[in-house]
Amino acid sequence: MACSTVLIVSSAAASEVKVSKNDQGHFVLLRDGAPYLIRGAGGWSHLALLKEHGGNSIRTWGIETLELPVDGKRVIDRCAELGITVAAGIYVGHERHGFDYSDPAQINRQREAVRAAVRKYKDHPALLVWGLGNEMEGPTSDGRDPRIWKELNELAAIVKAEDPHHPVMTVIAGAAPTKVQGILAHYPNIDILGVNAYSGGGGAATAVKAAGWRKPFVLSEFGPSGHWEVPKTLWGAPIEPSSRDKAAAYYSTQKTLIEDAADISLGSYCFVWGQKQETTSTWYGMFLKTGEKLPQVDAMCRAWTDQWPKNRCPRVSRFDSELKEAVFAPGQLCTVRAEATDPDGDELKWEWTVTAESTDLKVGGDQEAEPPSFPEAIVLAEKNQVVIRTPAKPGNYRVFAIVRDGKGGASAENLCFRIEAKPPPPQ
Amino acid sequence: MKHILALIVALFTTLTAPAQQLDFGDRTSATITSKAWGAMNAKNYPDAAAYAQECVKMYEKQAVEMQKQLKEPVPNTDKEAVSKLWALNDVGTRLFIAGQALEKLEKKPEALAAYKKLVETLPFAQCWDPQGWFWKPADGAKGRVKALEFDSLK
Repeated sequence: MACSTVLIVSSAAASEVKVSKNDQGHFVLLRDGAPYLIRGAGGWSHLALLKEHGGNSIRTWGIETLELPVDGKRVIDRCAELGITVAAGIYVGHERHGFDYSDPAQINRQREAVRAAVRKYKDHPALLVWGLGNEMEGPTSDGRDPRIWKELNELAAIVKAEDPHHPVMTVIAGAAPTKVQGILAHYPNIDILGVNAYSGGGGAATAVKAAGWRKPFVLSEFGPSGHWEVPKTLWGAPIEPSSRDKAAAYYSTQKTLIEDAADISLGSYCFVWGQKQETTSTWYGMFLKTGEKLPQVDAMCRAWTDQWPKNRCPRVSRFDSELKEAVFAPGQLCTVRAEATDPDGDELKWEWTVTAESTDLKVGGDQEAEPPSFPEAIVLAEKNQVVIRTPAKPGNYRVFAIVRDGKGGASAENLCFRIEAKPPPPQ
Repeated sequence: MKHILALIVALFTTLTAPAQQLDFGDRTSATITSKAWGAMNAKNYPDAAAYAQECVKMYEKQAVEMQKQLKEPVPNTDKEAVSKLWALNDVGTRLFIAGQALEKLEKKPEALAAYKKLVETLPFAQCWDPQGWFWKPADGAKGRVKALEFDSLK
């Protein structure tokens, strides 16, 4: 059965995708001659739900992802089956991961890997664009080092020689003018500039234009304010935006992009259509680990289609506690309260967890380990209210509240607290 | 527009009392800006909004004049040219701070009014980000308007 599906998909015609300009002089992506606005998400799970909520494309980061199994098929085949296109990411070396742009042997190996990836997938009908590299300049780089841009120019030439029918997009972290200028000076083969931007996502296209960018643009990752962009507790823990703030951020970024950057924007990919541990287990994921969608998904549906989905996530209206951003001694009893309503009137169920603050913190989205949880800290959980006995071990913690509607929708909140053997007196 | 102006007046009236007790230093735009950011970072939202309001009141006329002289934003790569538009930049930034502080104070209509005023009257204001570039407060304000409107959708 799987074999026959692959045959069917492989026999479908490869798409021809190109960048063009419309009557208004705006850049557009033409897929087999028809204008194609990317309503995309980064990730490769919950693909049917993406389609159902109005999305039409996914973005991946490494070429191996296309082979992963999803719904019993390869990711790229499942996308083709659903009519979802793929911005196929090809990993390009990061110096922080040990790649040396001064080493000819490493450079040659990378060029051959890029060539092989393009040869393998260039005729697949789901392919939309090549995502050549993601933040390879480094998330904290100022982009002034020309070596990476020059090598990307070589790599893009290889891609184009192998496949003249799909544009090359390269993705950078943030819209710093020095990066844009580096690309303008050293990377003429690029077709589309992708920018990953969080709290500044809505203004990223305007920012690159101001820096001199005149080619097409894609907002290649966006979402809530990043953990590096938000206020912190006194002990340095980043305060995660509420579920409602996150949903509003996705919506406003998407709408702002459409309104303000129609001249260069080909669309966007929200981050991340799935679940990911990065600072916390709920910061960037648009789904829970248990599979329920979060309000960010509903927000994207609204932004893409101007309609709400059939089933909406619960809406949290209150989440507070004396523990919130406070320092307590071990063994204290504290209460956390939450309130939520469900737009569809579904019955809500709450789940409460106490975890350590993550200490396995990385940069640039690198994989992080989940911190331990402390079920013994939950003394009494009564629906939307929980009594917690503060942990015995001094350290930094979070309380998570998850509310589910039982129909695939949920909301998640958390607050930070700290345990000290001798906490300072309350002010 | 009338509605927005009424809300702005209401906002300023609300904040007049605390403003009288604030220390404005040498009353330069730069000093008040720095105090507004300081209050914001210290989560002292009433003071942040009041400092912002004072700066808007003092320098709004010059800011609007500077905006009127521009047909497009000054390129954000020309730091000197951007910095010359000090009143435009400072008042625009202050309106953004006012909006942020008012959101924290759960005064959503007033926050919306501050953001909309910024978007409509000072769209070319720019603010220096310590990471090394200028950003436009009006872009941020536009996003907040959409976010607040989304949050109130039924």
